[in-house]
Amino acid sequence: MIPKRIKMYWRMYWIRLVIILVIILVLILSVVGLMSLESFYRNITLATMPINLIMVALNATIFVFMYMIFMRSGLAKVRETKVNSELVNVKWDDVIGMEEAKREAWEVVQLMKDRARVKQIGGKILRGLLMLGPPGCGKTYLAKAIATETGIPFLPMSGSEFVEIFVGVGASRVRRLFKRARELAFGYGGCIVFIDELDAIARKRVFSVFGGTEETNSTQNQLLAEMDGLQEGEDNVVVIGATNAGEAIIDPALLRPGRFDRKLHIDKPNLEERQKIFEYYLSKVKYDKGSIDIARLARKAIGNTPADISNIVKESALIATRNKQDVIVYKNIVEAIERIEMGLKHRRHMTDHEREMVAWHETGHLIVLYLLHPTDDVFKATIIGRRGALGMVHHNPKEEYFTESKEKLLADIKTALAGYVAEKIRFGTTSSGVSVDFQRATSIAHMMAWSLGMNDVGLVGDYMQIPEAQLSEETKQVLNKEMDKIIKKCLVEVETLIAKERVIAERFVKELLEKEELDYDEIDAIFKEYGKSPLKM
Amino acid sequence: MKPIAEPYLGSSAQRCAAAILAVAMLGAGALGCTATYPADAVEQSIIRLCQQEYKIDVKVATVGQTIAIYLPLTNLLDFTFTVTPEASDRINNVLLCATRVVISTNAQFNFYCVIAHDTRLPEIQIVIIKSVDDVKRFLLSDVSRSEYSKRMLIDLRLSPQAKKEKVIKDIFERMNLDKEWQEELLNDFFRTEPAALGEIGYWNDRFFIKDITISEFIAEQIASRVKIEFKDIPELSEAFLVKSSDGKYMSDQGERFFTLEVLAVNRKFDEIDRDVSSDVFKMGLLVAANVVHAYKFEDFNYIDIVNVRDYKHLKVSRETLEAYRLKEMTFDEVAQHNLSL
Repeated sequence: MIPKRIKMYWRMYWIRLVIILVIILVLILSVVGLMSLESFYRNITLATMPINLIMVALNATIFVFMYMIFMRSGLAKVRETKVNSELVNVKWDDVIGMEEAKREAWEVVQLMKDRARVKQIGGKILRGLLMLGPPGCGKTYLAKAIATETGIPFLPMSGSEFVEIFVGVGASRVRRLFKRARELAFGYGGCIVFIDELDAIARKRVFSVFGGTEETNSTQNQLLAEMDGLQEGEDNVVVIGATNAGEAIIDPALLRPGRFDRKLHIDKPNLEERQKIFEYYLSKVKYDKGSIDIARLARKAIGNTPADISNIVKESALIATRNKQDVIVYKNIVEAIERIEMGLKHRRHMTDHEREMVAWHETGHLIVLYLLHPTDDVFKATIIGRRGALGMVHHNPKEEYFTESKEKLLADIKTALAGYVAEKIRFGTTSSGVSVDFQRATSIAHMMAWSLGMNDVGLVGDYMQIPEAQLSEETKQVLNKEMDKIIKKCLVEVETLIAKERVIAERFVKELLEKEELDYDEIDAIFKEYGKSPLKM
Repeated sequence: MKPIAEPYLGSSAQRCAAAILAVAMLGAGALGCTATYPADAVEQSIIRLCQQEYKIDVKVATVGQTIAIYLPLTNLLDFTFTVTPEASDRINNVLLCATRVVISTNAQFNFYCVIAHDTRLPEIQIVIIKSVDDVKRFLLSDVSRSEYSKRMLIDLRLSPQAKKEKVIKDIFERMNLDKEWQEELLNDFFRTEPAALGEIGYWNDRFFIKDITISEFIAEQIASRVKIEFKDIPELSEAFLVKSSDGKYMSDQGERFFTLEVLAVNRKFDEIDRDVSSDVFKMGLLVAANVVHAYKFEDFNYIDIVNVRDYKHLKVSRETLEAYRLKEMTFDEVAQHNLSL
């Protein structure tokens, strides 16, 4: 084993080793040369050595600077950061919040570990693993854990590192990467090549009508060739790719068996997983176990990725530090979620009338959301400006839903229209604050009527897919009328509701004008005071 | 399981290279601290170097911070009374050996001199005196080659000791003293350390050397350079011949001063009456100002320049000399206040 490793080092670094040996030889000769000089000349040489070294270093720096500026498109390339493979130390148990993906990945680990057995049985050896999923879900983390668990070298690269303005540079980098991987596999019995942001080089290839080709094409061709080469060779090199882009974006050639054999979908964590993630990140900080209900936090953080949750905990730790607290309390986490999801507060000086109008607008949203929305919970209502809006009613789904029902879509439209209705009922007029709400309501209604078959005239099908010229004017008119009908029906319902609950609405307006912000608990308490409870699905 | 990171030779190679470089630098530094020619073996080192490298036998003696090398030659001068090329070559070789030793030793030497003798004419000698600092500055390109050669004192003359002993021996002969008694008397009373640079020499297997001081070296150098300038400047060399130029550093009544006595005569008969004094004073002033400045020598109150032909004196204080060097005063302004008969 040891001679094999030495051979591997020699194959990988023979140029560096030769240079080092030459340097050592030159240094020895220099010392011998200095020794042969008389002390006066030796002293002169030694005395001038530091300044000579500085001058050489300065010249080299200037040369490298000029070279990078003029030959390598600026210093940006120098600053290009790579994942340091020495830092890869992610244990399998550290990977939390992706149980399904972990189970599948474990199989991959076993396949890589028992390669000999797989070959013996005559099974297919794993060559590539593609991890797909939204950003921040732990794809890179899982790849590192696979590397740790298999105990073989890990070569991380980012897809963007292959992208160059010069044709051929990316391809040569791919060649170099795989050459290195094969050498490591020779020495250690296997190697994992991890390419993050694979979509940078793996998008469907573009072939120019003028016969030219894009740089990424040649990079991708080289990647294909290298992965085929792996099949032919005996080296245990496994390529793990990770991308946020969908499978449809990736070139089919890469997805065929023999290249990325396995596809691992890593999705956002579910309630249980989020709970575990919160537990994991909170275990790394000091927090008040009495005030923080992790299950409740997990419910609040629907749709958040592990990276988001990590960010929430970090932000709450910062808030606690700023408040000179010893431990993180529930309020800090809520504030952190608000900051991350709603943005920072931005107080504007408004007239009393305008403030009242904003309060009525938000109250409209709030009442409809609480009383009519089947899937969402109110998280917070505020008349303090955030992210350009003058007020906001923040809401989250109660559970994870992967489809949207007709009722939910209608409730979304009603919620969007409620601000307009509330303004109209109280003031007899409306403001420009409704524009975003209208965009949302119209867009949902249009989708319901045109694409989802949720109309009353029996036009079932996705009419958006049909080219406009092929659609009859009559069909268009009917669909648009249906869309209009949906909106009008929702409007009437909202008007009725707000008129009916005007007392509650006035109470919320008063509270908002006084407190500016109302949390879920305060909102719930007021509704309960009037004997109201949220709509249950 | 502990992960295997990519074996990265870069950092270990850098560490290794840095360690080797550091060891090499430290080693070279430690070597640099050791003098090639130790202080207690300077004389032997010069003798050995001359013998090993040029097959020349020399004798070496030291006094204080001055080292003297005696080089016996068989053909120092030719019939035109000039130094033969062979002799010049051997003198240069000895000078080189002496230079190598004095600059690479831990002993503190300020001056060294080579005394070359023609064994057939032992009364005639060449004495070359060099300052160790001048040599180092020349090797570090701090002074030019021409300036360096002007800073060397080269003197071809009759051995002063020989002259002295000849006179005394004549007297002893007339007194009919026997040889042994003559030698004893000479040893006891007449073979003493020289008082001036001009008396340095080698006679009868004995060094006559002194510990040279920077002040007398400067005084001699001023005189030597005035002579050289009168030879090198065509206008002056065509008009005048410097017969003697003698520089001394003296101390009298608490004052220290240089004297420069120059005897120059007119070369052309029709210019026999042309006054040389202004040229002597101008040149003397200029040379003295530059030399004392070059050695940063300030331990003197004034310089007295004497034109031996008419015994006119130009006595210039150190401050005035510096002002003249800096061109803050003209020669006429200097002469107006300081010239005397």
